[in-house]
Amino acid sequence: MKGEILTTKGAVRAEFDFWVGLYLDKFLDGLEQKKFIGNKCSKCGKVYVPPRKICGDCFEHIEEYVDLPDTGVLTNFTYTIWAISERRPRQSKNIKMIGLVKLDGADSAMLLPILDTEPENLKIGMKVQVVWSERPQGQPTDIKGFKPIGGA
Amino acid sequence: MGVQPVIVSAGFSEHASKRSDVNMAELMNEAIEDALNKCNCTIDDIDCIINGNMPAFEGANIPELWMTDHIGAKNKPFLRVTTGGTTGGSVAIAAYYAVASGLYDTVLATSFEQQSCGSTTVGLSSVALGEVSIYLELGYDFEKLRRNMGAGAAIGIAAYQAVNYMRRSHCTEEDLARVVVQNRHNAAKNWWTHLKMPNYTIEQVLDTPYISYPLRFGMVTPASDGSCAMIYTTEENAKKFTDTPVYVNGVASVSNETAIVTSEAGGCGQIDPCEQLGARISARLAYEQAGISFPEKEIDYVEVYSPFPNQELMWLERLGLFEENTAHLQYREGVTALDGDLPVNCSGGVNSTNAIGASAMERVAEAALQIMGKAGNQSPKEIHTAIGHGWGGAINLITLSILADQPRRKYKGGI
Amino acid sequence: MEKVGIVGYYQIKPETDIQMSRPEMIFYATRGALDHAGLKRDDLTTVISATNDYYDGKTISNCFTVDAGGAYLKDESKVEMDGAHAVNYGLMRCLSGHHKLALVWGASQPSTFYYSCIRVLENDPTFDRPINLLNDYTAAALGMRAYMNKFGVSVEDIAKVGVKNHKNAAKNPLAWNEAQLPEITVEDVLNSEMLSDPVTKLMHAMPCDGATALILAPEELAKKIIDDPVWITGVGLCQETYYLGDRDLSISVSMEKAAQKAYKMARINDPRKDIDVVELFEHSAYEELILAEALGLCEKGKGSSLSSEINGEIPINPSGGNIGAFTPCATGITRIIEAVKQIQGEAKGYQVKDANRAIAHGQIGFCAQNNIVYILEGGKK
Repeated sequence: MKGEILTTKGAVRAEFDFWVGLYLDKFLDGLEQKKFIGNKCSKCGKVYVPPRKICGDCFEHIEEYVDLPDTGVLTNFTYTIWAISERRPRQSKNIKMIGLVKLDGADSAMLLPILDTEPENLKIGMKVQVVWSERPQGQPTDIKGFKPIGGA
Repeated sequence: MGVQPVIVSAGFSEHASKRSDVNMAELMNEAIEDALNKCNCTIDDIDCIINGNMPAFEGANIPELWMTDHIGAKNKPFLRVTTGGTTGGSVAIAAYYAVASGLYDTVLATSFEQQSCGSTTVGLSSVALGEVSIYLELGYDFEKLRRNMGAGAAIGIAAYQAVNYMRRSHCTEEDLARVVVQNRHNAAKNWWTHLKMPNYTIEQVLDTPYISYPLRFGMVTPASDGSCAMIYTTEENAKKFTDTPVYVNGVASVSNETAIVTSEAGGCGQIDPCEQLGARISARLAYEQAGISFPEKEIDYVEVYSPFPNQELMWLERLGLFEENTAHLQYREGVTALDGDLPVNCSGGVNSTNAIGASAMERVAEAALQIMGKAGNQSPKEIHTAIGHGWGGAINLITLSILADQPRRKYKGGI
Repeated sequence: MEKVGIVGYYQIKPETDIQMSRPEMIFYATRGALDHAGLKRDDLTTVISATNDYYDGKTISNCFTVDAGGAYLKDESKVEMDGAHAVNYGLMRCLSGHHKLALVWGASQPSTFYYSCIRVLENDPTFDRPINLLNDYTAAALGMRAYMNKFGVSVEDIAKVGVKNHKNAAKNPLAWNEAQLPEITVEDVLNSEMLSDPVTKLMHAMPCDGATALILAPEELAKKIIDDPVWITGVGLCQETYYLGDRDLSISVSMEKAAQKAYKMARINDPRKDIDVVELFEHSAYEELILAEALGLCEKGKGSSLSSEINGEIPINPSGGNIGAFTPCATGITRIIEAVKQIQGEAKGYQVKDANRAIAHGQIGFCAQNNIVYILEGGKK
């Protein structure tokens, strides 16, 4: 087939609002109070944060909530100049550090920003503590990030 | 030759316009737990999970990746099958083939939709927008395009189908309203449905304004949040789980071409969107597989996918259950009522509950439950053979499952 | 399991921005596969497609490709995962006895959207998505770091996989032009643009437009269509949990389980000895090492010691692998086709000697969350 290829560009605005369910709701309530809430599977004893309805290994409901400290361990990390966006690739002004943080007492880790340090200082196993946003609103972004504390 | 698949259980979540108490994963889990609890089955018995939904409504791509733990798929085989409105039916058919192939013994087929997360109109119209937007480059006016497409994809198509069907059959708007009223009355007696309207009347339907002639607001399907799960297994295994297994004897999902503008605005060969060649061929293939020669006599119960009432009449004819252009007459005579000769959509149908991803599977599930004698709104008639049907795409995707309380009669055919 | 054979296939040459519309691309792939097998569209009984609504930018992405994909008035369905998963569905349909020929195709056009941006949509929408830190670059970075940290593997060893695959791609006429780099060195890979530390561009698969198709047939019919069809003798599929924090990213539990199932079906006891060539879908260079270890080809952490060149002891991705030509949704089918070509002796320029048994692999999800493994056998023994 020869000739000019006709193209068209367009955008459809589609907005989404997700129900979080009762379990994450409790977690978000906790964030508003600047504390972490997880839940513990009664069968295998695993502690999940954020809390989940179902334990993947046991396929049972998890009904026991537990309070967790605001300190944890950095189990993995990376850093990038590329902004993470669903629209198009672009570079941010500053390098963004992100890491998997396992709170003390939890068996699952959360992927969150790492703050108040330089990429060269990041080490797997370093102790970290939460930095809350000034005015928490019961959103996942109330957790501004985690920062390294004490020695590694 | 393959293994004979059997349905041993079907479960549902509560359906509502907003299930604000659960996220998607928990919504799907509800139906799975319902299905497992209804027979002696645990998640450890399941060898494979197949799931589907229509992703436009939740803004999440392949959500089962996130939902793995909640659907019991952790460290298990998992497949995702999605075909728009027929997703539920396609998942049911995929579960059939998973068992029939001998690769998996017990398969959990699940489907869901949480439409309150997004906008139903945006989701539906994005089906066709990509294809027809090329007209804008050819100088077409956007408003004109929107009007010709007919107020969003699904209603536009259904309106064209309705106009053609009414021309052929001479059915009246009252006939359409009668179908709606029957469905809503049925839904009121079924536990998991959305629009339960036991006192709805034909006058009330005809009193509502038109959206797109001849369809009125009172006739339109709702947008629901909900999920459905079914368990397929081999004939041998079935005894472990239930005393009333339902044999899946024929499946087909033949696609027609899209009858709006087809790909690249190239035009299509379909002039009459209510002709539904795909449905006719699907029916022929499925009946052959199931060993059914006279569907109008051999089928006891039907669940058809009809978000709009004209479609219910159309499908019953295209699937060979009523003669052409007579379906509306059968409704007038009460043939399709709960206690009629051929009960149709006793669950309330898609016209009363429409969680799009799950809808087509709910048709198969309800057909199976009627055979088992365990449906929410059980027909007093003895049901031996039933059909679960699904429709979707822009016009062109059909799924069909033929179920019975006995295995298919051996036939000479196939390879 | 009865044997199902691959009797025809076709891969259109992937390009950065292919000058064809989506239906055209799909048509050339499916028509090519039918012509390759010497079959007519009438002979087909079923068509399974692999596309993704969000990659195509339209809901029900398969409803407008029914005619282009050869599925008009045929029993058809769609798997919204990798092409290799669609092949599994086609396989199920053939094994059921109801279908005699299954055409499976996959296609996408990443030039029309930003692939790594759209990966964000696979996040948990209730928690991870508002936090907005996970796309395929950061996921690969976390996986690579976990692997390097656990086993002390150096970034150079991982870069060597990138070098191997880019060089192999240069020998494969159907690889993506931009990935064909015959002179590439480890330095080049390490100095290329940093996507997310420590993953650089040349050690990560970059997407390109393309379409591939293949045709399956049950044993008796396959033998009538071509001499010496390549048989699928084993398949294994497994999905692990989504939460990266729950997983040990230095290994692949789902790949191990999938491989075990496939080996059992194909009666393979010692993959290192029994398998002649491996085609993996590696999203990033480090993944190839983890996946090879999960297949049991070597001990955990020792993937970089495998002699995986084209003339090595266990050639991995002689075609250039996914780094050589990454078309989302089609890649899994391409891996199977490349493995078939090796067995049939059709891989001119990158042929592995005496390849009779191969592994082909497909995956989906962050850090290879869901893996599917095929064992393929055939050729003149």
